[in-house]
Amino acid sequence: MARKVAIVGVGMQKFEFCKVETIEEMVFDVARNALEDARLSKDDIDAVVTGSAVDAFCGIVNSDKVATDGAGGFLKPTMRNSTSGSSAVSTPILGYNHVASGMYDIVMVICYEKMSENASAQAVFNTVYDEAYVRPIGLNVPIQCGLEARAYLHRYGLTERQMAKVSVKNRGNAISNPYAQLPMKLTVDDVMASPYLSWPVKLLDTSPVTDGARAVILASEDVARELTDSPVWIRGTGRGADSVWFMGRANPDLGRLDYAYLAARQAYEMAGIKDPAVEIDYAEVYDPFTFKEMQHCEALGLCPEGGAGRMIDEGVSWKDGALPVNASGGLQGEGNPIGAGMSRLNWCYLQIQGKAGDCQVSKDVNTAVCNAWGGMYQYNAVMVIGRD
Amino acid sequence: MVMENRVCIVGLGVVEPGGNTRGVAHKELLFHATRRALDDAGIERELIGGAITASSDFTEGRSLSNQYTLDSIGGVMKPCDLRLAEDGMHALFAGYMEVMVDPGLLMVVAAVQKPSERVGRRNGFHKILSACLDPIYNRPICNTVPHAESLEAVFGAMDARAYMERSRVTEELLARVAVKNINNAAAASGEPATAVEDVLASSELAWPLRDLTMAREKDAACTLILTSEKNAGKLRKEPVFISGVGWSTEGSHLAARSYGMSPDTQKAAHQAYRMAGIRRPEKEIDLAEVSDWYAHRELIHVEALGLCDPGETVLRIEDGGFDREGPIPVNVSGGLLGKGNSLIVSGLLRVAEVARRIRGDAVDVTSRKVCVGLAHSWGGFISPTAGVAVLSKW
Repeated sequence: MARKVAIVGVGMQKFEFCKVETIEEMVFDVARNALEDARLSKDDIDAVVTGSAVDAFCGIVNSDKVATDGAGGFLKPTMRNSTSGSSAVSTPILGYNHVASGMYDIVMVICYEKMSENASAQAVFNTVYDEAYVRPIGLNVPIQCGLEARAYLHRYGLTERQMAKVSVKNRGNAISNPYAQLPMKLTVDDVMASPYLSWPVKLLDTSPVTDGARAVILASEDVARELTDSPVWIRGTGRGADSVWFMGRANPDLGRLDYAYLAARQAYEMAGIKDPAVEIDYAEVYDPFTFKEMQHCEALGLCPEGGAGRMIDEGVSWKDGALPVNASGGLQGEGNPIGAGMSRLNWCYLQIQGKAGDCQVSKDVNTAVCNAWGGMYQYNAVMVIGRD
Repeated sequence: MVMENRVCIVGLGVVEPGGNTRGVAHKELLFHATRRALDDAGIERELIGGAITASSDFTEGRSLSNQYTLDSIGGVMKPCDLRLAEDGMHALFAGYMEVMVDPGLLMVVAAVQKPSERVGRRNGFHKILSACLDPIYNRPICNTVPHAESLEAVFGAMDARAYMERSRVTEELLARVAVKNINNAAAASGEPATAVEDVLASSELAWPLRDLTMAREKDAACTLILTSEKNAGKLRKEPVFISGVGWSTEGSHLAARSYGMSPDTQKAAHQAYRMAGIRRPEKEIDLAEVSDWYAHRELIHVEALGLCDPGETVLRIEDGGFDREGPIPVNVSGGLLGKGNSLIVSGLLRVAEVARRIRGDAVDVTSRKVCVGLAHSWGGFISPTAGVAVLSKW
């Protein structure tokens, strides 16, 4: 049966639009930081799990192999996960499996992305679609998300101003985050005045193009108890994927993410959480677009279905609210290096440890949840972590 | 004693390399393989609990190529879903760990490759090969190769030379390896036999690599269904146990790689043998399917896997030690040289071949009983990884 798995260290670095370091150097930097945080050496690492979305961003085939040396993975078992944006959480889930299955005791999980190397990230995103039927239409992320946002706002009677508040909150939170790419002090009117990319999604509803990496070290129970008195356990994991044909999904309404509800249900069942809105103390929710944070808060049960508008209006998800969401700034404020959105998990860990610096929320955090969305806009991965 | 979480293969489906795939989309290839695997296991897709695919974007010309295959393997709205950008055999390893974590799962692991969709000589593989290198220090070297298309052969030849130097294996012996594999494949399909002279007369790509000592790319798909021993009892097929797995990655920098040897295979084998409790692989393994991307790589891998002492390789080839009727038959299926190189599917195909032979339902049944078999995969110069799986009847 599954063994208990703990997070024993994280590695951070500043997110930037264009980092001068190569992928190998970026990965080395976060791996080094994580090892120092966990007080381990690279020889202690049994296996390396890497995650990165799309090789076409950096133009290197199997880019994880180039990153392996920097992660301390030379002549060790390495495995690379790739589910686009959701690699951010599905990669640590793969790492969790490495330890929970009993195969390895200490596993380094690295997520990285170098998006500055290509002329247009959105042109790359067009290449994920079917070449015969969908690619020629010219679909990319903002266009697809414009469709989804419209369906979502319509389904639950939400407004663009409520979306804008998420941007104000997250970019404002990022001001306290030393690793953030895009901290901004904004008003709702600023966001509303920014140009439309794909109605109803505006420029300030989106997250930037980013270079960056993150590392997490996972360990089995025995090792974790040796390393620390207060281990943070991975208590629940969940994944869900709908059909890659967005016109053929189980639920044809693009406004409701059935696959995200499926992923959240699994993670909460595993963690024994019955009422997430009460039992979860803190959440880092995947917010590449403002409405995605709202959709994901609902799918994760942090508010009732359709209640994300009220949640932001009433200040529940603000940093000093009853259930803070993305106090780090999220992808909106911290930056969105697709796979390295694993930062969401890192921040949950830092909040539980009380090491989040200026981003630390005032309430006690014992249980936190994070999620990531990706695949071909149809994959969600959820992870619940917490103290004993 | 039924152990709850011993992992086994309960179904396999293959679209063999080399078949006619014109007009069959790569999603369909994988669908056919999965349909066969489900039929083989006697289940329907509703029972599938999770799905893992592995793929490489650049060889398929599509970003997130692994996600694209989800519908073909019955993975829609299933809980345990993972997408790897790896050699196909890693999907088996990830599936293995999934079942170890949750023994109640029926897991589908799959890979598909359709190189015939790429254009150019040898399907433009040289472009992919140069793109896998670090762009600052390594990739510029590719520009120094006079004919870009021969890039793969140049890398392969450097490796082959280093191996020949160390092992005293001659070109003729390499040709014998190729002949063995090509004829193994021909025996199954009834094609005429190839002679050593034919191999030595085939065009030289980069000395000592020849047209017939380097595997050619072929379209293929492979799906395996895994579950725990406890679950397997409810299914009709006799399970094949995965008793050991191991994988390892070498550095990607050209200058730092080991030529003419395979430390990644050695590490992977070490881990797999330890799990499977194998101390003397040369005695305990009945049959092996190893990566023979180039003829000399089969020998490098056989040595690294401990199936043959490096000092005895020459003797073993001369004695036919790796032949169909030899003490350790290697690549009875024909391997990559005989059947074609399906890149990331090749590793998973090796596993399927070994599983079939353990079950005794291979197309060309060998006279010997196979109780413990070994499958090995190597990622080639584009991906310096090795994977090893030890399969057993009990």
